[in-house]
Amino acid sequence: MRSVALLVFVLFLLSVIGPLLAPYDPTAIHIAERLSSPSSKWLLGTDALGRDILSRLLHGTRWSLGLAFVISLIGLLVGTFIGLMAALGNKTLDWAIMRVTDSFLAFPELIAAVVIAGLLGGGINSLILALSLTSWMRYARVARGIGLSLQTRGYVVQARLAGVSLLSLARWHYLPSLLPSLVVVWTSMFARAILGISALGFLGFGVQPPSPEWGTMLLDARIHMRAAPLQMIWPGITVVICVLVINLAGDALRDALAKKGNE
Amino acid sequence: MTRRILGLLARAFVVLSGTAFATFTLLWYAPGDPAHAIAMARFDAIVSTDIVDIVRAEAGLDVDFWPAFINWLTPLLQGDFGYSSVTGRAIWPDLLSAISYTAPLALVGLVIGLMLAIPLAIFATRYPESWLDRTAVAIASLGVAIPAYWLGLLLILLFSVKLAWLPAIGARTASHMILPALTLGCGVAAALMRIIRSGILEAKCQPFIPALQRRSISQSRIARSHVALHAAIPVITVFGLELAFLLEGTVIVEVIFGRPGVGRFLVKAIEARDFPKVQAVVVLTALLFVTINLLIDIIYKLIEPRIGDNNA
Amino acid sequence: MLTLNHISASYKKTPVLKDISLTLSAGQTLAVVGESGAGKSTLIAVILGLVKADNGEVSWSNSPVKDCLPSLVMQEPLSAFNPILPLRQSVMEPLKAQNKTITEARLAQLCERLELPLALLDRKPNQVSIGQAQRAGILRALMAEPPLILFDEPLSALDAVSQKKTAQLIADLQQEQGFSALIVTHDLGYAAAFSDYIAVLRKGHIEEITSTTEFIKKPQSDYGHELRAAAFSLGSLGYSNLEAKRENSK
Repeated sequence: MRSVALLVFVLFLLSVIGPLLAPYDPTAIHIAERLSSPSSKWLLGTDALGRDILSRLLHGTRWSLGLAFVISLIGLLVGTFIGLMAALGNKTLDWAIMRVTDSFLAFPELIAAVVIAGLLGGGINSLILALSLTSWMRYARVARGIGLSLQTRGYVVQARLAGVSLLSLARWHYLPSLLPSLVVVWTSMFARAILGISALGFLGFGVQPPSPEWGTMLLDARIHMRAAPLQMIWPGITVVICVLVINLAGDALRDALAKKGNE
Repeated sequence: MTRRILGLLARAFVVLSGTAFATFTLLWYAPGDPAHAIAMARFDAIVSTDIVDIVRAEAGLDVDFWPAFINWLTPLLQGDFGYSSVTGRAIWPDLLSAISYTAPLALVGLVIGLMLAIPLAIFATRYPESWLDRTAVAIASLGVAIPAYWLGLLLILLFSVKLAWLPAIGARTASHMILPALTLGCGVAAALMRIIRSGILEAKCQPFIPALQRRSISQSRIARSHVALHAAIPVITVFGLELAFLLEGTVIVEVIFGRPGVGRFLVKAIEARDFPKVQAVVVLTALLFVTINLLIDIIYKLIEPRIGDNNA
Repeated sequence: MLTLNHISASYKKTPVLKDISLTLSAGQTLAVVGESGAGKSTLIAVILGLVKADNGEVSWSNSPVKDCLPSLVMQEPLSAFNPILPLRQSVMEPLKAQNKTITEARLAQLCERLELPLALLDRKPNQVSIGQAQRAGILRALMAEPPLILFDEPLSALDAVSQKKTAQLIADLQQEQGFSALIVTHDLGYAAAFSDYIAVLRKGHIEEITSTTEFIKKPQSDYGHELRAAAFSLGSLGYSNLEAKRENSK
């Protein structure tokens, strides 16, 4: 648990100060030294335009991790709100909300994101919209499920009888109980967002070049696979490491919660 | 039971309508004028606004949102996917040809995934929490974290570029299928393995297993009939999610390996802003997805009638 | 005045309450007695609008009961409090929700009355005894001075000593504040000692509603007789009070 927490902290730190550690400007072109192998000058080599790969990877944390954070946070807020509305509202509202949720779940998320981001045209705003639109449903389901189970708790009945407003009901009695489970969902959605961002980047519908996003870097590297195979390895490894660490954190959190629940 | 299944059908219908509505809303508000795109494609030249307006009227796009939605939905309901706005060709034959590449790939990918995941899960759960189990779980966790496009590229790098054993791009021969199917299969296996593993572990904890053991029913028979059935329930539940994974993976794998399947069809259609083609793929995917989820729900209710409608 | 007019209700299609009619005037106490499963909890749920009646009407002075913002004292005091909040916040919740205030002096007075040290209110529910939690529940019920308080087996989670004390306390507070009380209990001794009327509930039916003094002398239904005989033989709580009450009524 402690080691996982440490890893998460390192990731977080890297996404904040990563760009400061970069030895070069990530978009600076050095045509004479294009596709260099790793050396003391270019620690991880250069890409087809002679840009420093290490610098691009470090700046990429801001894109991949930062955007994934924003997207999963939007999903968390929107999904929780919608799920709580379903749980606190009347039966008709609940039914309608759940059918909308089902409709959104009735489509492979990544394909939906590809279509939305692609049709809206590339760029960060469409990327955020596309991935947020396809990620709020899980939060909504969890929030609604727990919310409904709270409805019969004594203290919720008491609060309702006393005429407590829905807002303070949600604030004091629902959110505290929801939070742990939502955080677990959030970690897995965070990891999915990282994968989604780089997949969209790789397909050309995500962050646009020359921004050093990892998926876009892979797309560039693919063309020069024969000449510089290593160039293709790095962005992939960074994605795998990030997703792995976040998934580990999610598992650890879930286990800790299950243990607490059993006590 | 019949009433429940009717309920599920009604729900599937509502969901499908919702998806169709969402698709149309997206197309309606997406930047770019579909009528203009159609006109450009048809006359293969820069067109005047008059011609665009004529085309718009022809395509039933010159009305408000709701009538346009009806105009859009009616041919779809009749199974008519229309014509490409870029090439003017009928969409269905092209789409059918794409499906003929995608369906076998998805199927083989799924089979490879199951063939990797099930034995690994059984192997791992023989001694739960042993180093064997832990290693298997670790491999699966790693597998989940590896994006399909990267794995595909790595496989191409190893088997096509370095070893030159297998072809990488295209779909001419059966050997072209190996790398993409393997890419897909590994992803599926990683996701399935952990679910099957916990399914088996949970089934082994069921109170009736020791009772069966006491009645000296052989270990392998218990494993075959009772544990397998119990482990199947969570597996069936996540099958819908796996299907999503499979379809998503296919899109990416087809792009990497240059296979002319549905995924590439979709990506090219989006790049060309060929709206009718995009909507054809979207509607078909939704239909497939809802149908399979419906079947899963029905099977689920048949196996486990006790479980109520708690995720309604 | 609380009025129930031909109420029936069911739980998962099984009828639980059948054709219940009763009234409770301001400041009076009605005890609903019956064995477990007679439908007592459902009756409370229906009165509070937590469960919808299949038929009939429930009202408080010709308007829905929940408009008079009634309070409920629950059987399980622990479940009635949000485990992560200090008791003070839960106790104050009705006031805050209804935009009312209370002076610190009045709160201290009430707490003293309930034998709740003020400092105890800063603790979480699991850091106080069951008896204290139940008294905090009564405190919360009194805070907004509602015209109607429902008590769902208010004593059953308590030990014998606190049972007696709490029962007396509820009666005294009612004298002071003048609310109507509907007490649901399986304990006839308690009902007999502290109520004005007794309603006997059996399998969802009301067998009789009799003034408590009458009931002690002579229940009108056979089942009422049975209950009374059982209470006598068990010598349950309040029996001594019961005798005293009978003396008083003479």
